[in-house]
This record gives sequence, structure tokens and C-alpha cells, in this order.
Amino acid sequence: MVRVKSRYLLCEVNVSNRSDLLLLDDRAVAAAVKAAVARMHGDYGAALCSIRFSVKYLNAHTGIVFLRFPKRCYKLLWSALPFITSIESRRLTIPCFLNCLHVGGTIRTCQKFLVRYNTKQLHRMLPKCKTEEEKQQVRQAILSCCLPGGNKEELEDDLESEEDEEDEEE
Amino acid sequence: MTSVEEAEPSGFQRVVLTNASPYQYLKIRLVLEDERSRLSDVELKSFIIAGLKSLHGEVGAALNFDVLKYDEESLTALLRVYSRGLVKLWSSLTLQGFYQNQACAFRVLQVSRFTGISSLEEPLIYLLFHVTQKKRISHFPHYCHPLP
Amino acid sequence: MCADLSRTPRTLLVCDRSSFLDHKNRVSSQVEQLHFIYKVSVLLPECNSASSSLDSVFNSFTSFYLIRKLPIYELLDKDFLQSAVYQGSVHGLSFRTRIDEDNCVALMPNGRLTLSLDKDSFELLGFEGKPSRFNHRSCSRFEVSVDLTDSSMAPGGRGYLRLLTGLKSHLQLQTDFLLSHHPGGGASLQALLSRYDWSEHKPKVSRRCLSNLVCPAPRSCDPHSLLEWLGAVDADVRCENSSSSFLSSFVCPEANTTLGHALSVSVSGLLLPHDVQRLIQELRCYLQQPQLESWVSLTVHGFTDSLVSWGGSEHGALIGGQDFYSLLMFHDHTYRLYLSTATCHTCPP
Repeated sequence: MVRVKSRYLLCEVNVSNRSDLLLLDDRAVAAAVKAAVARMHGDYGAALCSIRFSVKYLNAHTGIVFLRFPKRCYKLLWSALPFITSIESRRLTIPCFLNCLHVGGTIRTCQKFLVRYNTKQLHRMLPKCKTEEEKQQVRQAILSCCLPGGNKEELEDDLESEEDEEDEEE
Repeated sequence: MTSVEEAEPSGFQRVVLTNASPYQYLKIRLVLEDERSRLSDVELKSFIIAGLKSLHGEVGAALNFDVLKYDEESLTALLRVYSRGLVKLWSSLTLQGFYQNQACAFRVLQVSRFTGISSLEEPLIYLLFHVTQKKRISHFPHYCHPLP
Repeated sequence: MCADLSRTPRTLLVCDRSSFLDHKNRVSSQVEQLHFIYKVSVLLPECNSASSSLDSVFNSFTSFYLIRKLPIYELLDKDFLQSAVYQGSVHGLSFRTRIDEDNCVALMPNGRLTLSLDKDSFELLGFEGKPSRFNHRSCSRFEVSVDLTDSSMAPGGRGYLRLLTGLKSHLQLQTDFLLSHHPGGGASLQALLSRYDWSEHKPKVSRRCLSNLVCPAPRSCDPHSLLEWLGAVDADVRCENSSSSFLSSFVCPEANTTLGHALSVSVSGLLLPHDVQRLIQELRCYLQQPQLESWVSLTVHGFTDSLVSWGGSEHGALIGGQDFYSLLMFHDHTYRLYLSTATCHTCPP
């Protein structure tokens, strides 16, 4: 059996007004990606985008999106993402742009990356906190985030295995 | 691109260039439903660009290609395109079906790496038989769609 | 499903630089290797009209014969073999057959008969062959190649009879056929010709006078740009040297001189390498005359649908391009030879 390979793009939706994020849903993001691909790569791109493309996960609070693309053409589809300038959702146009944080071969590696990324963000936030109460909250948050079911060693193994997968694609 | 060079004191030198040719040349003919209609070279180029845009989007429309020669009578043109754009250009020509609401088709008569392309055996056929039209199925290059 | 769209077929260009005076030069053997020549074009810079001796060479290219609906087994005819194939060199090529969709036949000057057949025809023929190298995915084309001068193919021999019955009763292959013979000409082919509908053709010579031609420096120019320029001159492509035009950004590479006059002569038909040799000799004589520009170029194109490429190697048309070589000759007997091939595997000699 050969596994059908995909690439997962971990993207962050950047909006000027954070409350707009709550208006987003899967379908709106998928439609925006499809429209951008169709504009940049025409019918050919639109056709590639119709096979096994999906929005796997959307966190409306943090604006994190997982996009799944077929592995063979993810570069072409990825190249259209910077051209997204707005997402239409619930009859409202939300001006935004997508920032790709990570490209992974599995959802698991993307999730691990996301946890580490968020931890780093919290560390960055810590010195900026003004009140002691805020600091306490951030510390608590850092302590509470741990990688799901794993220690550091396992993480390194995973990274290696993912690198293998990346090599294979070349 | 690689090149192998053998130089000998006697002055004989051989250089082998592989995959170095920057351009590909296509000889195409536009076949229109209404045979009397004509279009100018500028119209032809915009028509081809429109086809590229619909199949390959804005990235495709930005593809550089040149109309080296165009004969308005026979609607035959000689195009030059960067090698890496050949497949995009060829596929968009193949899928071009309508010109101003009339059915049309591009026949790709010949594809070559060199401008010597005009040496299509067509004149020979004229010479021998006075055949007015030579039809050739435009072969879509097989390397475009390998099985998944 | 979504292959790399920027992939292109492999290309190959061989550039030789040497002198005719060099004993190691192989021009004549290289010229002999391209058997089926469709067109020869010559560019004479600073020339209004070709000299009479040069003109006579252009006009004396051997004529060729077209036979309509020739049954291929006629090529195995005993008299034909004796009067033509064993006696000299026969160039024969099926005409108006497409290398990628029809059955094609070629008879080479060394007496080798090559057939490129689709699967059904190959199985009908029932003769030894090998799968074509240009098969894609499934094995759908086969190449049968026999040496008619070999002892096993002598009339009456086992292989001969097998091929003859195959072509006569199983696979009744008929095509239009182009034929020419050196040195006998039509006389040695007469027996074969008389039985079928045939016509004789003189290679067609066309001359074009060009004026105010922007010209690159032939010695220093990059081979690809130079070949492109030569091809453009041959194809009569306008070159205004303005890269900002909407239609075309084609410019003359490293333009350094403007030629007042130039003469472009082309000969087309089924031409013999022997005639090309004569033309090269005559052009060398022409170069010895004192004149302004001291170079000429000669470009030779092979048939696109010919089933043999350089030497005897197989030729496939699907992957683009055609066989040709371009010979650039200079006043001081040096030359540049650019050889190209359409096939992916073979390197020109």
C-alpha cells in the first residue's frame, strides 16, 4: 500500500480587527483560497485545487488555519496564497492576509510546531506584561503547555522523520 | 546545462551542449470556422494571451513569448517561447476553442528547438501534389500528463 | 496529474571547431551520416548573385523519383537488388507517412531496410524486430531492420523468403515512396519504376536576395543565438532589433555589422549527401575569392518524419525538433560545425 501524500500548511490569518476572526468559517477560507488559485493559475490551478484540497482546521479565536494540499502540487497552490487580500464570510468582506508558518507532512507535526510556536510567543509576551497578575497568568500558560503525549526526545525523532519525508519529495 | 569540451593541440575542438537551448519554436495555424475572417498579428497575440490567462491564470498570462512571423492569409504563425514555458503555451493553444463566438482551433504544425523550423516538408508537398491543406493532429507532448 | 509544467525534452547540440586543412577533420564522414536530407540552405553574405560555378552546383542536385502506392516487397525484388542496391547507394523513404502514427519504411544507402511498424502490422509481418525506443508506457511500435546485403538476406535465402512472404501475403504494406540512386540515377531504378505510377522531380532551388541585414559576428557569437539568427534569416523573420515591440522581442545577437546584400539559396527535395559534399567543395572555392565578408553558412535539414537519425539510429518525431547540421565556413579554411539531433539518446557522430 502506498500512502496518498499531502502537505499541510499551517497558516495564520492576520486581520486588523481581531474580533473579525470570529466571523470566519472553514468554507469561507476554502472559497478564498480557491478563488486566489483560480485567479493566479487559471483553470489548471482551479482543477488542482479541486482534488484533495481542504481546510482541515480553523481556530476562529487565534486565526490558525490548517490547509491540506496534494503533495505533488502544493508549491503551485502555495504560491497563490499571498494574493489573498480578503475573505468573504457571512456577507462581510474581511480584509486579511495569510501568513504561512509551517509546512508539514502530517497534521501531527504541524500541531507540534504550533505548540512550540505558541510557547515561544508566550515567552516573548512575558517581559511585556505590566501587572503582576498578567505575568502570573502567562507563566501559568507556559507551564500548562506541554507536547501531547511526548517528551523532548520523541520530538527530535519526529523532526528527523519529517526531514526524511521532505527529502523524499525532492 | 552541461558542456563537455575536448580540445586538442591540432585545433580540433568539440563542445557538447545539453539542455542549453533557451527557446523552443512552434509553427501553428489557426483554423477558424468562417474561413474568410482574418485577424492581424496583434489580435493573434492577444488571443493567445487570453487563452493562457484562462488556462494558467495571471501567472500564465505573464509568460513571455514572441510572434516571430505571421502570415495573415494562411493564419500561420511562428512563435518563440522560453523552453520552460512550452508546455503552458502548447496546452493553452490546444484548449483554445472560440474566437469571437466562432469555433476555432490551433493546429500545432511543428515544434522545434531551432528556428530552422520553417523547413517543414510542406513546400515539398506543394511542389509534388499541390495539396492545399496539410493536417496534422497536434500532439500534446506526452510528458505533460504522466499517469499518477 | 500535476507534473512539472516547466519540464522540456532533453536537447543536444554538438559544436565542432576545426579546419579543413586539419587531417583529423571529419566533415565529409559527418555529412555522409545524415541520410535523408530534405533541405539545404546556404547564406552568402555580401553577394548579389551566385557565381556561375556555384549556380551550376545548385542546379545539378540529383533528381529523385516518387512512386505512388509502391508495395514494399518490391524493394526485395531480385533485379532491383542487383541493379540498384548492390551497385551503389539507394536512398528511399516512405513519403507522407507519419513516424508516430503510420508504418514507415526507409532504405538506406548501405543496403539496410528499416521498417517502423505499429503493433498490429508487426505481428502480421511475423519477422524479427525490436520494440521502438520511443514507446511510451505500452509497447506499441516496433522496428524491423534488415541488411539486404547480408548473406542471409540474399534472394532465395531463409530470411529473405520469410520477409518476402511477410510483406507479400501477410502485411500488404503500400506507401508512396521517394527514391533516388547514386551514381546510377534513374537508369538503375528504371525496372522498378516502370511497373508503377511514378514521376521524376528536380530538387527545387529558390533564391532570395536580402538587403540591409544586421549580422552577428560569426566567430564569437554563442552557438544557440547564432543558429537562431541563421534560422530566422532562412525563415524570413523580420528583425527590427527593437526588443520593446509587443509582438516579438527577437533581436539579432551581438549585432555588429550591417550587410548591404546577402543571398540566401535553398534547395529542397530528397537530396543526396554526395551532392552536399560537392556543394561544400564549391563553397570552399568560392570563399577563396577576394571579397568583403569571408564566411558562408550551410544548413542541412533532415526529414522530420524520417525513421532514421544520425547514422542508422532510430528517430522519433514526437519529442520535438529535427535533425540538422549547420556548417559555418571561413576564408582561412577553418570551420564550425553545429550538429543537432531530435532524439533523446544518440549523440551525432
